[in-house]
This record gives sequence, C-alpha cells and structure tokens, in this order.
Amino acid sequence: MKKTVAVFFGGRSPEHDISIVTAISSVIKPLELTKKYTVVPIYITKNGKWVSNNKLTDMGTYQTGKIDELVAKSKPLPVSFDGGFSINKKRIDIAFPAMHGAYGEDGSLMGLLRMAGIPFVGSDMDASVIAMDKVLAKQVASANKIPTSKFVFFSREQILTGLNMVTDAIEKALMYPLFVKPAHLGSSIGITKVKNSVELANALEVAAYYDEKIIVEEAVNNLIEVTVPIIGNDTLTPALVERPLSPSDGVFDFDTKYIHGGGKKGGAKQAGAQGYSELPAKLPGDLYDESIKTAVVVYKAIGASGIARVDLLIDSKTNKVYFNEVNPLPGSLYAHNWRASGMSTMRLVEKLIGYAEEKFAEKQKLTSSFDSNFLKQF
Amino acid sequence: MKYYFTRYLAVYPVALLYMLQDSEYRLRGYFKWLARTKDFRTVMKRRTVDYTPKIKLLRIVLWGLWLVTNIAVAVLIIISYTSLNYWYGVAAIILLLILPYILAYGITIPLVLGRIFIQKPQEKKMIEVAREILSHHSGVRIGVAGSYGKTTMKEILKTVLSEGKIVAATPGNMNTAIGISRFARKLTGKEEILVIEYGEEHAGDVLELAKLSDPSVGIITGVNEAHLVSFKTLETTVDTIFGLADYIGDKGKVYKNGESLLVATKVAARDPYVFSQKGVDGWKVTDAKTSIDGTTFTATKDGVTIHAQTKLLGLHTVGVTVAAIAIAHDLGLTKKQIEQGLSNVTPFEHRMEPRNLHGAWILDDTYNGNSEGVKVGLELLAQLKAKRRIYVTPGLVEQGSKTISVHETIGEQAAEVADVVVLMQNSVTEHIVKGLEAAGFKGDLLIIDDPLEFYTNLEHFVAAGDVVLMQNDWTDNYQ
Repeated sequence: MKKTVAVFFGGRSPEHDISIVTAISSVIKPLELTKKYTVVPIYITKNGKWVSNNKLTDMGTYQTGKIDELVAKSKPLPVSFDGGFSINKKRIDIAFPAMHGAYGEDGSLMGLLRMAGIPFVGSDMDASVIAMDKVLAKQVASANKIPTSKFVFFSREQILTGLNMVTDAIEKALMYPLFVKPAHLGSSIGITKVKNSVELANALEVAAYYDEKIIVEEAVNNLIEVTVPIIGNDTLTPALVERPLSPSDGVFDFDTKYIHGGGKKGGAKQAGAQGYSELPAKLPGDLYDESIKTAVVVYKAIGASGIARVDLLIDSKTNKVYFNEVNPLPGSLYAHNWRASGMSTMRLVEKLIGYAEEKFAEKQKLTSSFDSNFLKQF
Repeated sequence: MKYYFTRYLAVYPVALLYMLQDSEYRLRGYFKWLARTKDFRTVMKRRTVDYTPKIKLLRIVLWGLWLVTNIAVAVLIIISYTSLNYWYGVAAIILLLILPYILAYGITIPLVLGRIFIQKPQEKKMIEVAREILSHHSGVRIGVAGSYGKTTMKEILKTVLSEGKIVAATPGNMNTAIGISRFARKLTGKEEILVIEYGEEHAGDVLELAKLSDPSVGIITGVNEAHLVSFKTLETTVDTIFGLADYIGDKGKVYKNGESLLVATKVAARDPYVFSQKGVDGWKVTDAKTSIDGTTFTATKDGVTIHAQTKLLGLHTVGVTVAAIAIAHDLGLTKKQIEQGLSNVTPFEHRMEPRNLHGAWILDDTYNGNSEGVKVGLELLAQLKAKRRIYVTPGLVEQGSKTISVHETIGEQAAEVADVVVLMQNSVTEHIVKGLEAAGFKGDLLIIDDPLEFYTNLEHFVAAGDVVLMQNDWTDNYQ
C-alpha cells in the first residue's frame, strides 16, 4: 500500500515562485519516480487559496499562465482534521512542505501539521521559527558560543518613523561596510550591502518594505562565504561544503541567484544555485572540517531536524568561522550538492520522508495528556 | 471490452499508422501488435507518427475506407427504413461494429499489393544494377556478419583504414540486399576498400548478400540467440552467419570471434583467424587495460608493435580491435597510420557510449540487444570504480524458445555485479527477477512502468560516483 504524501508549495511569500520549482523539480518528480508514494500536490496561491490538481505537477502550467485559469476554476479545498489530516477526502500520511519564507518555512505550516498530528518533512515549528528569524538564529548561535558577525536589529516601525535615529544608532554600534537584511526572508530578497549613511538609509527603507524586523550586520573581512547542507535528526549527514563564487559587489540578489544563474557563463541554463559555486569548496587548512563542525553545532543548537542548510562566513586571514544564517528548507533541497556528494534526489526525498516518520514516532512516545481532578471542583 | 470503444476515437487511425510505421511495415509484427493492443489511446509512447509520403498515402486509404464503410452504413439504414426490413439495420450495426477491423486490416491491402507489383520488381532491378556495379568495382571487399557487434566492427575498420585508404562502408543499418544496393549506387569507383555489413533475418541471407558483394575478407563478429524467432534453431543461425565463411572459403581470410561460444564451437582448433583478447593471425596482445576513458593494449607480430589506444570501453573490444589491426596491416597501412586510426575510434552512438551526468557515469548501451552484449557489459560494470553500480534493462527481444533461460541468466549475471537493478515492466521482467532471486540479489530492485519517464528523469536517480549501465531499449512494438 503506497503512502500518500502531500507536497505543499507556493504560498503567500515573496519566494512563491522559488517554491514552485523546489516542489516540482526536487520533491514531486523524485517522489513519483520512487513508485513508493502517492503524491498529492497542494498549491497555495499568492492570495492564500489552497488548490489540489494533478496538473499542478507540470511546470508548463505555471510557465504558460494556465495556473490562473486552473486556480479560478478550482473549488475551495476541503481540509479536515479527523484524528489525522485529510484533503479533498484523501487521507494524508505524510506532509512534505516545499515552501520558502513566510507562512511556510517560518513554522506556520509546521504548526498546522502538528495540530493535524501527521509526520512532516523538515524542522518542527520551533526550530523553523528560530531559523527563519536571522536575529533569533544569531542569538541562539551566540548562546552556544558560535561566533557571529556583530549585528543590530530594528522594527519596521522604528525605521519608518525614525530613520535618522536608526542610522545614527547603527553607525555608533557597527563599522562599514554593512549588510542590511529583512530578518525573515530568504533567497537574498531585500538584502543590500552598504558603505555609507546614504546607502544605509535607502537599504533600510527597502528592507522595511519586505519585513517587520530588519537586521544590520557588519561585513566580515577577507570573506569566504560557504554553505553546508545537512540532513538527519539525531545522527546528522552533511553534504559537501559549497562556496558560492561571489559577484564583485559581494551580494547575490534574487536575479543573480535565480534568473542569471549566478553570473557564470551559460549559468542561466542551470537551475538555482548550481551555476555559481565551487563544489566542494577549496578551503585552506582545516577550514573545510571546521565549517562542517560549526554547521553541525548550529543545526543542533536551533533544534533543526530533517534538513537544513547552514551558511557560514570565514575570515580567510584569521581563519575564524562565523555563523551567518540557517535555511530550514534550502531551495530545490540543494539537490545539486547532495548529488555531488553521492546522494541522488530520489534517495534524498526518501531519506527525508524516513526522518519525518522517525521524528513523528519519537514524539508519539511522549505523553500528551495528564489526568487530574481539576474539572471536578467546579 | 472495456477499451473496445477506443477504436472509435480520433486517435485510432493515427495509432494504426504509427503501428505500421514502427513495425517497419512488417505485417507479422503489425498484426501481433494489433492483436495484443487493448487501449488504443496509449499506443504511442515513445514518439508520434512521422508523416512520410508513404504514411500520407496510407492515411488517404484509411479515410477512404472509413468513408466507404460509413456510406454503406448510411445506405443500409435508408434501405432498412424505406423497405421496413430490419435486417438491413442489423447489417448496418454489424458493419459499424467491425469498422475498426475494416480499417486495421484494410490498410494492409495496398501495402501487400504495392509490395508485390511495385516494390519487389523495383528492388529486383535495383539489386541487379548493384550486382553489376560491385562486380566491376576494384576495391577490396570486407564483409561483416554476425548476430551482434557488426556495426562496431564496421566502424572500427572504417576509422582505422581511412588513415591510409579511401574507404566506403554501408551506412547505419543498411545491411539488407536493398540497403547494400543503395550503397553500391552511391559508389564513385575510386574507393580502395568497401566495408559491407550483412544483416540476417532468414536462413541463407548472409550467403546471398556475400554473392551480391563478393567479399575477399570476412569477419564473423559473433553468434547468439538474436532473431531466433525467425531462425527457429541456433544451428540455422550459425549456418546462416557462416554463409560468409562458406562463400569466401580458401579465397581469403575469414576472421571469427573466438569469444563467442557459438562461433568457437564451429571453428577448427588451429584456425589462425580466430580473434580474441589474446590476439589473431600471429598478433599477440599484451597489457590490455580498460577504464571509463577507453581501452589500451599492445599488439605485436613479426617485430612490429602497435600501441593501441581507443576510446572504446571494455576488454571485449580488444578482440575486434586486434582483428582490425591485422586487416589494416595486411592491406598495407603503416604502424603510425594504424595507431593514429585507432586513437580516432570513439564509442558509437548508443553503444557503450559514456556520458557524465552530475558526476555519475552513464554508459549508454541502449542499441545493444543481445546476450553477449549483456555479459560483456556487466563485466565492464564490475571492472569500473563506482559508489553504486546500477544496471538498467528492459531485457532482450526475439529470443524465441530461449526467452526464459536467456533472461534468467541476465538476472543471475546482474545479481553478481549490480547494487541497483532497474527493469522495465514487460513480458520478460519476471524471468530476470527470477534470475536475480536465484542468485540471491541483495541490492535494490526497481521496476519501471514507463521507461520514457525513467530515461528522461535519470538526473533524479543518479548521484556522483554512480556508474549506470543502460542496455537495450524496447520500442513501442514490443511489450
């Protein structure tokens, strides 16, 4: 009997389109190819409408714009919490969130799935919340004695009502150059590198357009940026340490990352992050092993499970490794890195399903009720 | 019955045309395919109809049949209505019910008539013209026959001999009398060497083709169960392929593949022209090595040493390569020319052709449809360094009475080598699985319903360090 896996993608997030690619190319197709699962695609529109239809697994549906017609014709999707989770009267055995950013990767969907009481792939709600908040993640890392670059953070309200005060405060606390980032967004959306107060003010306004919390960080000198994908619950398997080959300004914006293929020649033909990195990263000395060690500590510290990607910054002169951020659902699962490290995409999704079931089974062992006489006194 | 009415869909006539084209207009294959097809919506999986002039003509015939039958139905209904004789109505219904069969079988009538009255006389004439051309041609004729390995041998010879001679070889699979005749018509007369491939479908075919082209050098690349459906017995297969040796007799050298069991049993113990990884005709092979980059060895005879280096994969290529060296040397090519020619030998399309996919090596051997090829392919897979050795096959076709044993053996051989076996669900899958089980296969077994989906999504299946051997590929007319 095949298990039914619901793959959630799209969503009310600026990373909506990235999520579609992740779901179709790196989750749904490999899951179908295993022949072990019945895959139910759950597409969440930019307005938050849930749609399920087999045509959703075809990339052409989105490329040709037929998705709008399909969504318009779709009836509201009946979802029931019946001691489990059913969508369109179809019982879901496992959920596979393939969503990036808000309302998906940030713990919102995980909360819903926890309520439904079914296994789901990836980190649980609490770890997702930490991972998706760059400020919280840095605070957790610091508490675990993992170096991070110096940072300050502000609310959107503070920036919109007192921009000058905010820039003054930043300039007192940190040294240029700085990175201004929306605290909850991924895929490099809204990130700017700034070198003076004019650029800083503009960058803060841009970031405040996307998020309620904005983080400003000092740039690491002599920078080598690396990323380490990891899978597992208790026993962790890191993939290869990968080094994005930075463009001249040191910032990957959304277009560079996903549309122009990272600026590498012919990169536009390559999907996602595959066109602009050194894999495995050629790092001097023990930095390769040190990067993996740091990434594993971060993964455990934030309580991640299933899969995550930890981004690190290295000062190549001091050989110091800094934690930058953690991504609980890497775009396209970082399948290119896993393939290069010897794990096929089919094997990867099967393993992730396995981790989800393992984590769920562990949670089932916990007692969730407590007998008391409390109500009898009323 | 559930799918009977798919015969009334618009896709039905297109499916009939596709089946005819994909069966290469061979009616036996077409009728067999027709008989086993239930749902005509799913006939075209691999491709669609190629609208050649012949297909366009057949399409007109189909529409003509459809129109005439429907007019007949209408006339019968009108007669039934006007004469109040319900039997005409019944006849109209019967005619409508058998309409799909009228189309399916009616379309073959112009094919049969065309073959008898147009194609055959034309072909006969073309063959006579070719016989005339070839009989006056001054080039050395090298005939290549065998159940397998013909194209590889032909291409090696063409590549090596072209270093010092003007060479022409029959292109692609043009290995029938009509194919060779077309080849002959294109000759300029200046060619010094003709390499001619002989196909075999029926008993005695190779001898007839040898008579047509008059070779003075022959190569028998191997004999196995291929085409056993038409040959019925392996003895007939062996006799047919050895028709080349019978024709040449003592007039020239006939090289025979000693690594083919059925060839080895047929040749004399001291036959100097039996080639293998050890050598042939006095050429001794040493230091043979193979890797994903190609194969190297040293061949020595009478003080001449050839350092052979080809891009072909597998030690099984050493035998055919040393045979090519022997022929090239006999025909006067220098050591330098031979070595240069060998370095230009690259894997042929879909024949043990390597390509890298995300750090995995894919060995595309999908044009290989014989048991010897399976054996040497798996031997190569075992020799190559790999994290996972993955073997992909739908099995072999036209194995006749040997179908079960051949596929059980494939299962047993694969079990020894592969970490993962991927099979395409069809009529022989169960036999391969039985072989795997018998050999105690402990790896992963994946059975695929839709081969095309698998091939087009291979990137999801592989990872760096994998070596994937894909052998044979069944077209839609096999199940």
